[in-house]
Amino acid sequence: MLIPRRVLPVLDWRLVASAAGLAALSVLIIYSTSGMHASLFRRSLYLKQAIWVVMGLSAMILLCLVPYRTTWSLAYPLYAFLLIALVLVALTGRTGLGAQRWLSIGSFAFQPSEFMKLSLIILLARYFEDRKEELCAPRIFIVPILLTLLPTVFVLRQPDLGTAIMLLLICASILAVMGLKIRYFVLVGAVGSAVAPVLWNFLHDYQKNRVLVLMYPDMDPMGVGYHVAQSKIAVGSGGVIGKGWMAATQSQLNFLPENHTDFIFAGLAEQWGFIGSLGLLLIYAYLLSRGLRLAKDAHDLFTMITSFGIVSMMAWQVVINIGMVTGIMPVVGIPLPLLSYGGSSMLVNMLAVGLLLNLHKHRYLY
Amino acid sequence: MSGDRKISNRYAPFQKRIRVAAVLISAAFLILLLRLWALQILEGDRLLLLSLNNRLRLRPVEAPRGLIFDRNGDPMVENLASFDLYATPEDMPDVEETTHRLAEILQFSPDELRQRIAQRQGSQLQPVLLRKGVDGRTVTAIEEHKIDLPGVSLQVRPVRAYPNGGSAATLLGYVTEVSQAQLKSKEFRDFRPGETMGQAGIERRYDAFIRGVDGGDQVEVDALGKINRLIQRVEPQSGFNLHLTLDNRLQRVAEQALQGKSGALIAVHPSTGEILAMVSQPSYDPNQFSEHMTLEQWHRLIADPRHPMQNKGLQGQYAPGSIFKLVTALAALEKGAIHPETTFSCNGSFSLGSHLFHDWKKGGHGTLDLRQAIANSCNIYFYNTALKTGIEEITRVARELGLGAPSGFGLGSEARGVIPSSTTRPPEVGGWYPGNTVMAGIGQGMVTVTPIQAVMMVSAIANGGTLYRPWVVRKVETLDRELIEEYGSERIRRVNIDPDNLAIVREGMQAVVSEGTGSRAKIPGLRVAGKTGTAQVVENGGSQRGDQRDHAWFVGFAPADNPQIAIAVVVEHGGFGGQVAAPIARSLLEAWFQLPKEQQPVQTAESEPTEGD
Repeated sequence: MLIPRRVLPVLDWRLVASAAGLAALSVLIIYSTSGMHASLFRRSLYLKQAIWVVMGLSAMILLCLVPYRTTWSLAYPLYAFLLIALVLVALTGRTGLGAQRWLSIGSFAFQPSEFMKLSLIILLARYFEDRKEELCAPRIFIVPILLTLLPTVFVLRQPDLGTAIMLLLICASILAVMGLKIRYFVLVGAVGSAVAPVLWNFLHDYQKNRVLVLMYPDMDPMGVGYHVAQSKIAVGSGGVIGKGWMAATQSQLNFLPENHTDFIFAGLAEQWGFIGSLGLLLIYAYLLSRGLRLAKDAHDLFTMITSFGIVSMMAWQVVINIGMVTGIMPVVGIPLPLLSYGGSSMLVNMLAVGLLLNLHKHRYLY
Repeated sequence: MSGDRKISNRYAPFQKRIRVAAVLISAAFLILLLRLWALQILEGDRLLLLSLNNRLRLRPVEAPRGLIFDRNGDPMVENLASFDLYATPEDMPDVEETTHRLAEILQFSPDELRQRIAQRQGSQLQPVLLRKGVDGRTVTAIEEHKIDLPGVSLQVRPVRAYPNGGSAATLLGYVTEVSQAQLKSKEFRDFRPGETMGQAGIERRYDAFIRGVDGGDQVEVDALGKINRLIQRVEPQSGFNLHLTLDNRLQRVAEQALQGKSGALIAVHPSTGEILAMVSQPSYDPNQFSEHMTLEQWHRLIADPRHPMQNKGLQGQYAPGSIFKLVTALAALEKGAIHPETTFSCNGSFSLGSHLFHDWKKGGHGTLDLRQAIANSCNIYFYNTALKTGIEEITRVARELGLGAPSGFGLGSEARGVIPSSTTRPPEVGGWYPGNTVMAGIGQGMVTVTPIQAVMMVSAIANGGTLYRPWVVRKVETLDRELIEEYGSERIRRVNIDPDNLAIVREGMQAVVSEGTGSRAKIPGLRVAGKTGTAQVVENGGSQRGDQRDHAWFVGFAPADNPQIAIAVVVEHGGFGGQVAAPIARSLLEAWFQLPKEQQPVQTAESEPTEGD
């Protein structure tokens, strides 16, 4: 194992700074939008988030120190462990917000589905690394698809549409980069559209409504459409420079439900306006560009796929989340990486960045 | 190094696809940026406005309406606190249980309560109105069981209250919420839905004075409508108080006297035009309107054939019957057709052409002069007189005395009444016949008057020939008794009738009470002048039975030599004026003259004591 003294100079400090900056921003926004009129529970959220941030940053640095091979060798056991966890969630999981997503281990509750995203990336990376000689054969893509569908089914049953979609998108992104022909995506798309009416019936009513509201935003202004209408007001009312620190009236006064989780971006946009939104997008863009550079410059498939997988995971989340907050995407419950409130999400994204750092470090060592 | 290169070459297709992915991600970010640009910069101002509307609510605080006092400072209209029952579902740990308990305590149907809560619009935190204006028993019950009823609350709201119930209801009017139809019209554009306003009578006419200026609380609310803090409060300004010329005690005596009957009574001060009492029976209870009135109640009110909502003093048009003989007498004297000593002989009937006209007294009155004819209300005497005078002069005098035209009271719609003239019946319908003149001479046929016209006419006769505009609001004051507006008597005209002739008629009117048909209005120690009338409802003698009986009239004033009060009474289908209306006038006069001196009407320069009979 390498000693930290040798590691530190090769750490991508700018990447660390981006992640830490986003996490700090998360605590600030949660603090400022959990206004003086909120319940005691709400007011203490920023403290809990701060604890998660510290834990996340520690995990990130720790992961950075783990030898390259360790990650590689953990790919299958981790996947198996999380899959079992998902099954356990389906059987015993704690119910929150009408869905079973949490698994309690002692006093520690975590969402296996969140961690599954990262585990799937490592798993697929190892799978392709192991078969780098047979990449041209289309049949090689069958196993990854099955390995993705298996957890997706359990996640969908919780129900957690957002994470299920993320698992599929991560898999699709990796397969696309691995060279799965566009025509297969078209085929899946066609089959998907064909079975969509059938699948539609399996959706919960609130999920159907969310999709419908995207198509008809004024359908139900006081019901499901309320979310979107209010978040657009919150974002838009920020204007160019925003209403200022602690002055996010829409978010503070609870006009925006879930304003600390999936809709946290609205709190930022309201307080700091277009300037703040642009700043946030730039930080994400920087973070993603670091990951993409790592993927592009990778000397081995495992590094390439892992870093690209992480980039695709974050990029999809950012695009879908901000898209839904600004009313151009359906509300599917996807958190904003490193910003939304929530321990599992914060840990997973920190670990993802830690993995990037780890890969980045090894880039020089190989 | 060559190994490196080899690897890169091997991964070249992947690297290319990663570059494509980078471009796609950049494109997606650009779309997000454009979307943010659209929302925050292009639509920023509009959405900012929306966010302010989201956050700030103006809660109107209704100004208490001004009070209405009678001439002695007795309150006739005031405001009372009413309690509205609310439920806040959010504060109910168990809605089912609480509604059940509430229903039990209040003896409401639990289904009704549940339905109300289920029908609520908006958030859980917004209180739902369960019942408006709950009674005292309910208020007590809720206060007692407060601990068992979480989420149930009472809110106080001022409501208009009429302590005397239906007394003077048609004059005072009532208050309701402004209606949807009214809100649509231009006149009510300053009103907001739910605001209360005067809908009739004084409440309507003086609404602008009474209503005051509503205040408001600008409050910050959260998404659930829960009020976080008060940002600004504008205190409501109470409406102005009205002081009326009405005498509450006299009013109540008058109500009492007309109780159970249908008709109108108006008492005025003859030398000022001040309304002292104004009764229209049957009446309605304006308190019903202040609280929520059921549709059934409303339908019952407007469908009542006796028209309780109508102010019969202003809107009732009745044949004046014999009280019109005063006009005929004056016209005859004015024209010189007769003089006070002119006599006619009455044997009970009068023939004109092929027509035979009857006296009310079978067998007739014998020979009488004008004074005796007025006193006994002899029809035959006035048939002769009318015929000699002609319709033109009768019409002129009637109009001079204010008949056939609105009195100018200005509260609600006032009927004109009808004073026929020779042109009233055009040649196409046969023209004006002497027979029409004969009928008009005794106040039958086409003649109709309203009680307010009748009392103003009698006032003009009583005061020596001045026609006043009737009025009822004496002054408008602020809460701190600062004078806003003061009203006084207004002379419409000095009537073009010889005062000597008026004196002759007054003498006849005294005889009506002292020895004639109006003897039931006689009061020992008080010289009362009057005239009875029995107006035929059904032609040719009419019926004295049931609802087709004649209208009973009495007009008069007292004291005869210095009139302080003039009265007109009409009892619909009451029968003989002397029997029914005169006693009512008597009880009113008794009540009035028992009042202490300082509460007598204000004397104005116009009030000239008439020369004694």
